[in-house]
Amino acid sequence: MLKAHDAKQIPQKSTGLPHEAGIAEQVMRKPSYLNVFLTFAKNSMIRDMSFRMNFILQCISSLSWAAMNYGLFKIIYQFSDSIGRRTGWGESEFFIFLGTIWIINSLIQTFFMANATEFSEMIRTGNLDFALLKPIDTQFLISFPRVNWAQLANAFLGLAVIIFYENELLHDPDKQMNFTIWSVPAFIFFVLCGTVVMYSVMITLAATSIWMGRNQNLHNFWFYITNFYRYPMEIYERGIGWALWGTFTFVIPILVVSNVPARVLAQPMGGHWGIWDWTLASISVVAAAGSLVASRWVFRMALKSYRSASS
Amino acid sequence: MPESIISQMSIIEIKNLTKSYRVYQKQEGMMASIRGLFRREYREVHAVRDISLNVEPGEFVAFLGPNGAGKTTTLKLLSGVINPDSGACQVMGYVPWERENEYRRRFALVMGQKNQLWWDLPAAESFRLNQHIYAVPVVDFNRTRDELCDMLDVTHLLGQPVRELSLGERMKMELIAALLHSPDVLFLDEPTIGLDVVAQHKIQQFLKAYQEDRKSTIVLTSHYMKDIQALCQRVIIIAQGAIYHDGSLDEIVDRFSGDKIVTLQIGGPDEAFEGLRALPNVIEVEPPRIKFRVGRDDVAKTLSDILSTHAVEDIVVEDPPLEEVIAKVFTDAQDAKSLGEFGTSAAEAR
Amino acid sequence: MYASRWYDRATMWWTFFQISINERLVYRLDFVIGTLMRFLPTMTQIFLWWAIFDSISTPGSADSVAGPDGEIAGFSFGDMIAYYLLVIISRAFSSMPGLTTGIANQVRNGEVKKFLIQPVDMLGCLLVQRIAHKLVYYLIASLPFALVFWMAGSFFVNGWPPADVTFVFVVSLLLSFLLGFYLEACIGLISFWFLEVTSLTFIYMLLTFLLSGHMFPLELLPARPIDLRGFVEFLPFQYLAYFPAAVFLGKVQGPGMWNGLATEVIWVLTFMLLSRVLWKRGIKRYSGFGG
Repeated sequence: MLKAHDAKQIPQKSTGLPHEAGIAEQVMRKPSYLNVFLTFAKNSMIRDMSFRMNFILQCISSLSWAAMNYGLFKIIYQFSDSIGRRTGWGESEFFIFLGTIWIINSLIQTFFMANATEFSEMIRTGNLDFALLKPIDTQFLISFPRVNWAQLANAFLGLAVIIFYENELLHDPDKQMNFTIWSVPAFIFFVLCGTVVMYSVMITLAATSIWMGRNQNLHNFWFYITNFYRYPMEIYERGIGWALWGTFTFVIPILVVSNVPARVLAQPMGGHWGIWDWTLASISVVAAAGSLVASRWVFRMALKSYRSASS
Repeated sequence: MPESIISQMSIIEIKNLTKSYRVYQKQEGMMASIRGLFRREYREVHAVRDISLNVEPGEFVAFLGPNGAGKTTTLKLLSGVINPDSGACQVMGYVPWERENEYRRRFALVMGQKNQLWWDLPAAESFRLNQHIYAVPVVDFNRTRDELCDMLDVTHLLGQPVRELSLGERMKMELIAALLHSPDVLFLDEPTIGLDVVAQHKIQQFLKAYQEDRKSTIVLTSHYMKDIQALCQRVIIIAQGAIYHDGSLDEIVDRFSGDKIVTLQIGGPDEAFEGLRALPNVIEVEPPRIKFRVGRDDVAKTLSDILSTHAVEDIVVEDPPLEEVIAKVFTDAQDAKSLGEFGTSAAEAR
Repeated sequence: MYASRWYDRATMWWTFFQISINERLVYRLDFVIGTLMRFLPTMTQIFLWWAIFDSISTPGSADSVAGPDGEIAGFSFGDMIAYYLLVIISRAFSSMPGLTTGIANQVRNGEVKKFLIQPVDMLGCLLVQRIAHKLVYYLIASLPFALVFWMAGSFFVNGWPPADVTFVFVVSLLLSFLLGFYLEACIGLISFWFLEVTSLTFIYMLLTFLLSGHMFPLELLPARPIDLRGFVEFLPFQYLAYFPAAVFLGKVQGPGMWNGLATEVIWVLTFMLLSRVLWKRGIKRYSGFGG
């Protein structure tokens, strides 16, 4: 019996089509990924605007979550003036950290969260079929269709908080901040690196629903894994915490995701990077590239196992 | 890469294609469910077994078969959505499940039970998205879209969110979305399912006109005989994952139905009519008309007998209704399978 | 005659109960993973509080066997961690994921009609379903729970509380299940009046997270400029998380404890009654509008 991959042995057949001549030209055409993405963004905007009330409520709700988080740490800083002894995470520094987290989370939620959820849903319902039919990279096609503009609110809030507390820090004579012209582009760069890492983790998780069936826990899992990156990595530096610290710095480097950009703006050592800062920064870059490649690999494996719902 | 023209050969070639699924066998009862936590029982479903067939360019082919016969699975294999277990297949020289972009730019799949349009947006926006994905030049895109919208009479609905469209209107939009890139091969999976008669008819008309105009190759699955009667020269009956018959509709009737249906209108006295009530296989008696079924080979003899004894005013001899024939074919096919012709294997995998 | 009626009733509920259990067992892998995941946030919380206590304690004490010696709002480090672990237990009883949206969806897509046609009570159905789901959950979750509590035993500085406190703890947990159920059911039933309850659900979630003590012990809430601490005493939320934990840790004692329990009972009855009223009114309104 012929195996599927022996199919090439069947001689190439002519198409015998009337517009045969047009095919060569048709085959040459490549979609513009930018145009497709812009169409996604525009369509999502049209959609959001047709449910305006819902849009506003979403903005408000994500902002209130952030506000609550802020409140919690405001309370904690009533009792203590630092998180951890001599870690350098005083109130202003920590709120810069928090702002960074909000920005990364918000980017993920704006661009990827709905899509990853939708991806598992597509696997369950068999709607992934349509994505597979399109002459465009499938991972691209399922990663970007929905842009959840309302979630961007938190990024702006994060930005505001960072600017406010950075200003506090720079005017505090006790802190020797080293804020240079490079701090801002470096911050942006590492935020993007972090976003790429988180995106990769997320899409990898979503892809596993091909093997696990209904993946109801995707959201939960996401919530739990991001739990670890919400705090400065110094808090894990004791006892069995070192194991977590090691795992989430080197193996699944989600601690690096939040800590590197936050340190760029918040840690007194700012501009003068020691060997450790350089190490963390390189992990961040390597992690971004590596996780992206890994996620693509898992994604392809997953597609191979996809069996399309119902026959 | 596809070689260009060698000779006039099939556009779709399927050889010994086989695909089976493993389905989790749910057990009844609570204890069984708890056991299921630790050990699961699976059942092997042979969706497609050893199918071979060729389709020539410009053909309009129908896959016909009962639910779960493997029609949709075959279409999914052809469109590269799933990989087969074994066997080979080429469409326009491409192996579908390699999912090359060049291939994907040249065919389309429409599924009547699913929608690919953005639910909350006007269809026009989804079309625009497809234009970018398939990289259709703006001029071609506008022309094709306007033509198709015109043919299907939906131009006025382009600006309405898809969720507000009726099922029929939505299906029309789905078709347009699938045809915007002028595919050479079109797969239609139950495109008229759930539609009312008018909408069904409209879509049939459209498909017919479209196919005659573009000479595209179309493979269609449907439950509606009307669709198939109106559109397809060739019908492939699939039952339990295998091809049971491949030919024209007329051939099916010839092959699977040995009967003709005869309707007579009798003149003269009622007593003469009464005698006919004794005929075997009477379907309907409504004096002065009588309708009965008779073996194909016996038609001539039966009729001449009656003509010699009765004053017959009108005779109609026709084939039995297609639905009836097909129903019989399906039952026959099922029986053939259960007699062990193909051998069912309900494997238990652990 | 009467007896067989009751028997039929009981059989019906029993069948329904079994179906609910079956339904729950289907997604087993999700289930086990989900349960284990629940403890991950607690782990980060332990380290976070460890760091915070470190900065207010005597230098060096944080890494000693006894742990950091500082206190925040009357909570030692051990208390704090024990509190978070106990809150997980409270929430395992009182949280009702999907209940509100489930009811809202049934109202929206007209599925509630079946409760008008069939002789079944919707709230009763949902309650039985929840009990089944929770039981399955405890069945599977008890092992990881036991493991975590055994490992975290040293945080429970005062050990197991006396019998009466244990009794109140257990009863308050069972009541918190009922309170959570009826509270969320009420919010879901509001969808008879406002179809879109998503935002309402969200506000509820936010309030519970903050005011139930899920996020931190209520003792941390400021008394000035607004007396938030005193304010939460008048709300039902604290019984969803804080109260059972506080009882166990001896933060609420003696008459305060019994008063608290009595108040919890009153809250449960209030929402039970309210949900009945909302259902009656809602259904009337629903059939009045012709669905």
